[in-house]
Amino acid sequence: MPSISRRDFIKVAGLGIGGALLAPATASAATPTGDDPNNYIGMLYDATMCVGCNACTNACRQWNSTTAEPGGEGGIYDAPRELSGDTWTLIQLYREEENYSFVKRQCMHCVDPACVSGCPVQALQKSSTGPVTYDAGRCIGCRYCMYTCPFDVPRFEWEEVIPKVQKCTLCNDRLEKGLGTACAEICPTGALVWGRRGDLIAEAESRLAAEPDRYVGKVYGKDDAGGTSVMYLSATPFENLGLPSLGNEPIPALSERSANIFLPTILIGGPLLLASIRAISKREGWA
Amino acid sequence: MAALLKPFKSDKPIPASFYPLLLLTLIGVGLSIYRLVVGLGPTTNMTDHYPWGVWISIDLFLIPVAGAAFTISLITYFFGRQHYEAVIRPAVVAGFLGYAIVGILLFLDIGRWPQFYNIFNPQFINLHSFLEEVSLCITLYTVILILEVAPIFLEKWNVRVPIEWIHRSIYLIAGAGIVLSMLHQSSLGSLFLLMPHKLHPLWWSPALPLMFLLQSIVAGLATAAIAVNLIWRVRGLKMDRELFRRIGQAMGLVLALYAAVKLGDTMGAGELDMLLMPDTLGVIAWLEIILGVLIPAGILYSRLVGHSAGPFWAGVFILIGTLINRLVVSWIGLAEPTLTPYFPSWIEIMITVGLGAGGFLAYGVVVRYFNPFPEGGRSRA
Repeated sequence: MPSISRRDFIKVAGLGIGGALLAPATASAATPTGDDPNNYIGMLYDATMCVGCNACTNACRQWNSTTAEPGGEGGIYDAPRELSGDTWTLIQLYREEENYSFVKRQCMHCVDPACVSGCPVQALQKSSTGPVTYDAGRCIGCRYCMYTCPFDVPRFEWEEVIPKVQKCTLCNDRLEKGLGTACAEICPTGALVWGRRGDLIAEAESRLAAEPDRYVGKVYGKDDAGGTSVMYLSATPFENLGLPSLGNEPIPALSERSANIFLPTILIGGPLLLASIRAISKREGWA
Repeated sequence: MAALLKPFKSDKPIPASFYPLLLLTLIGVGLSIYRLVVGLGPTTNMTDHYPWGVWISIDLFLIPVAGAAFTISLITYFFGRQHYEAVIRPAVVAGFLGYAIVGILLFLDIGRWPQFYNIFNPQFINLHSFLEEVSLCITLYTVILILEVAPIFLEKWNVRVPIEWIHRSIYLIAGAGIVLSMLHQSSLGSLFLLMPHKLHPLWWSPALPLMFLLQSIVAGLATAAIAVNLIWRVRGLKMDRELFRRIGQAMGLVLALYAAVKLGDTMGAGELDMLLMPDTLGVIAWLEIILGVLIPAGILYSRLVGHSAGPFWAGVFILIGTLINRLVVSWIGLAEPTLTPYFPSWIEIMITVGLGAGGFLAYGVVVRYFNPFPEGGRSRA
């Protein structure tokens, strides 16, 4: 499938619905809060430096008091296989014959997040410092966020009577104390670092420039889906690591343009149309 | 079932179909309470990979079916087609019951139901969210439907004053209902605009809101045609062929419009070749096209449209097509190919069946004990 923005373009052009939907995509330029995305706090994960030690998973558990998910031989190790209501980050392994790569999963803290755009009650919000935050006091548990997230990040506490949506908080409570994210601060190899998003992009690009053969030639998350606060460098194509090709337009852009067109059209045009139908039908003696 | 639709005669016994329907309804009620008490995990087969189950699919199907109410209101009150007046009350009652089922299912579906009212909290409302807009529109529209349904009961109980208020402002009430319907019927499609990466490309489109709106008009007319045909047949009334021809022609017109948008969209996106792929979704796409578009169009654009059975059967096929479409958009087309597909648990199924049975039961009671026909149950023909 071609990139999302191109697909929209072709589809809408084919239908001739109208020029307004064709407004150009502006990657990384607009955020819901109007902040400069380069000032967001984010993280950079370099898959070529990760040794898969899982210290990040453990640091996350300790700070957030999540429950371990034992698995493997004898069930004595904490061995989550994917994100869950109890596991907000983990290291997964991609392997194909001789090639392998680790990949860290957690919320990407998108610059313009689809989950925030879709949430009916603003339980998910983009904070001005970067983290996508969740407020269980607002959440009704509709699980729309789980479908709108292109990275399948939000998870549900299915076994709870009144479940919460759970995901990485970017350690918002640590950031407020001036600390870094728990996972990045513990990383022993420097594969994971945290900082200002703009600085992380500069760091990633200088690594790319210094060793172009080491990496596939792009920083994932700099522009993808309008940009994310957690970004990736890798030697393996990003699709293999579960980081899909999403195009550079933020996911909410089409939906919000559509809302801006459809809602006023129906709200103003609908009553006008009904009134004129009624007037005509009266004059023509249909009724 | 048919006996339920016969007019009330106090000396006649309650029809036999009443008791199984009542039993299914009560089982559904019991299981619904169980689900609320123990949570979604133990009662449903939903997972992090399939966070929406069969209840959402039923909602997405019932809402256009219940569109019978707004479609017939539009034709009766605004196009002034008096032919349709015989249809309006059964359509509005069916619409109200449809939305009542949707409302109950949504309440059972949301995980944090004790604070469901947050969707009405002005401080929380997200104006960018189509889900919020759908929730508000459906709530307001249910209020409108209550106003439209109320006269049926008020007449029976001989409370005249509110009936006159409702009659006097019927254009305002019906008009608001039509605008709210156009909003949420289209916004139901807009929900998936945030999911281009999840929904199968043959079904995902930026034109989803327009397609969902057109579909709801076709499905609403289809439901009206089926319901009226059944009711008149059971009551042994003379069919109004002219009425059926007109409903059939309206159905055919909007169906053609829908087909044109869908075809243009698929061609514009260069996805026609996907229809030639022998995979499951390719086959389902053809089923939807043949059953939901080609067969009904064949009926509606032939002389069959002049028989009361023509629009009836076209309507049946249109509803099958709508069901396939909504199942794909909310379930099959979202499946991740590498995972075991979702299938509802027996509790999910029995709650759904119970609500359906409750709906039939309520409809039967209204038809039996109240008068949903404007002229004492006589056909206008």
